[in-house]
Amino acid sequence: MIEFNNVSKVYASNGVHALDNVSLKIDKGEMVFIVGASGAGKSTFLKLIMREEKPTSGSIIVNNMHLETMRRSKVPYLRRTMGIVFQDFRLISKMTVYENVAFAMRCVGKRNDAIKKRVPYILELVGLADKAQDHPSELSGGEQQRVSLARALVNNPEMIIADEPTGNIDPEMSYEIIELLSEINKRGTTVLIVTHEHELVKSFGKRVITIDDGRVVSDTADDRFVVI
Amino acid sequence: MSSFGYLIKEGFKNLAHNRLMSLASIGVLISCLVLTGSAIMLTINVANIVDSVGDTNVTKVFLDDNMTKLEAVYKGKELKEVDNIVDVQFIDKDESIEAYREQLGDEVFANMTGDDNPLPYAYSIVMDDLSKYDDTIALIKNVPGVASVSSHRDVAAKLTSLSSFITTMSLWIILALGIISLFIISNTIRMTMFSHRFEISIMKSVGATNAFVRVPFIIEGIVIGLISAIISIVLIFVLSDAIISAARNILDFPYTRFTEVMWPIIGIFCAAGVVVGALGSAVSIRRFLTHEGNEVLGW
Ligand SMILES: Nc1ncnc2c1ncn2[C@@H]1O[C@H](COP(=O)(O)OP(=O)(O)OP(=O)(O)O)[C@@H](O)[C@H]1O
Ligand SMILES: [Mg+2]
Repeated sequence: MIEFNNVSKVYASNGVHALDNVSLKIDKGEMVFIVGASGAGKSTFLKLIMREEKPTSGSIIVNNMHLETMRRSKVPYLRRTMGIVFQDFRLISKMTVYENVAFAMRCVGKRNDAIKKRVPYILELVGLADKAQDHPSELSGGEQQRVSLARALVNNPEMIIADEPTGNIDPEMSYEIIELLSEINKRGTTVLIVTHEHELVKSFGKRVITIDDGRVVSDTADDRFVVI
Repeated sequence: MSSFGYLIKEGFKNLAHNRLMSLASIGVLISCLVLTGSAIMLTINVANIVDSVGDTNVTKVFLDDNMTKLEAVYKGKELKEVDNIVDVQFIDKDESIEAYREQLGDEVFANMTGDDNPLPYAYSIVMDDLSKYDDTIALIKNVPGVASVSSHRDVAAKLTSLSSFITTMSLWIILALGIISLFIISNTIRMTMFSHRFEISIMKSVGATNAFVRVPFIIEGIVIGLISAIISIVLIFVLSDAIISAARNILDFPYTRFTEVMWPIIGIFCAAGVVVGALGSAVSIRRFLTHEGNEVLGW
């Protein structure tokens, strides 16, 4: 669950008003697309949710935690409730697919026997069981993004946050990735996707939040969103 | 592999990855530790020499040159009556010259016997309370017929002041080297952290705590410290043995060898290595991990 109340974000370094008085609510189990032009403030929105940035004003509640007052030492525990997927996959090239996914479990102190059970299960879920021992460089873009998705899922988060997950992969593969995220959403995980690909968004018929110049200009439950 | 084992492995990998900086850190730390160890060994041995000189507690009293043997022997009674003197031992000048002859060969001393003996009669005396040393010496000098007094004390005092001078000098150098090694280690770790910033950003994005992220880097610092400590211990072992063997030729004395005092020193070295390593890395990590923003998406 995500709740923004009158949230504004001004970057202190250059004075850019990245978000302006944003209020919105995303319930548990929803699947939401966030669209908008370059520089609109989409990534800033995600950074605020994962507490990489603090809001300049307003309040943010994510998975029952108040982010504007949260102490630094609690941030890792907030992040454990979310899986983050990046446009550029962010896989460690020296590690195999299996190790990349297991790494996320090691980072939160999971035990070896738990890792041995969980990682193959998740790799199966994203359809990469047979690539477990490959290195990222041996995979296609779509496959690499599925590894990244597996890593985001492996610690069983309440939500998945994806910043342009299809930005670096070709269209057919993109559809598969969103399809996979939709599958994950059906199992109860909240899914937040920032994307430029309007056609893709339309075909899923989910809630779409449009941000323009730091403001929410449209928030619709289907594909009738405003195209900027 | 447990997550802790994984981290230890990462620490070693970092070390190998940054060979040059690691070697620099180890080198400076070694010079710091070897100097510390040498200062410790020097202080121990000088203290021992000074102690044993104090133990033998021998002070020689030389009598006037023109005194006959009979007069000289009588002086013994007078000396024994001096306050604080518990024992006096007559040193016959004929015996002394014989001893020299035996040691150094006949020729020089052949015509120095009898009335031609240039040595004075002397006594070696033993004091009861060494803290009254100076007063007692003054009293002895007041006894008529006493020409001069000599003792190892002056040597002991000179040795002690020399050793404390060297120790003070070493302390400053050790302090400077210690700070330099902290600085170099912290820079080494900062470099490894920088080259691992990608992994760190992933760790942070999946919710690793700062404590967890820093473990491999602290381990790296500790490994640097421990390697330095071990090499330093070996160096001091070899070095002190060589120096003691050389010193034997100058002054034969039961010197304290490194092996006799090594355990506390090894303990101190390992502790120092661990502390310097951990501290050095902690400093850089703190700076690295507490910068706000851009830690996940910004890389
Ligand atoms: N760390 C930062 N420091 C200063 N300004 C920033 C920072 N991050 C973003 N901005 C500015 O804030 C505004 C919004 O940026 P943001 O990254 O949220 O846009 P975006 O919608 O994700 O764009 P894109 O589609 O290109 O990724 C931009 O003007 C950007 O220059
Ligand atoms: Mg962006």
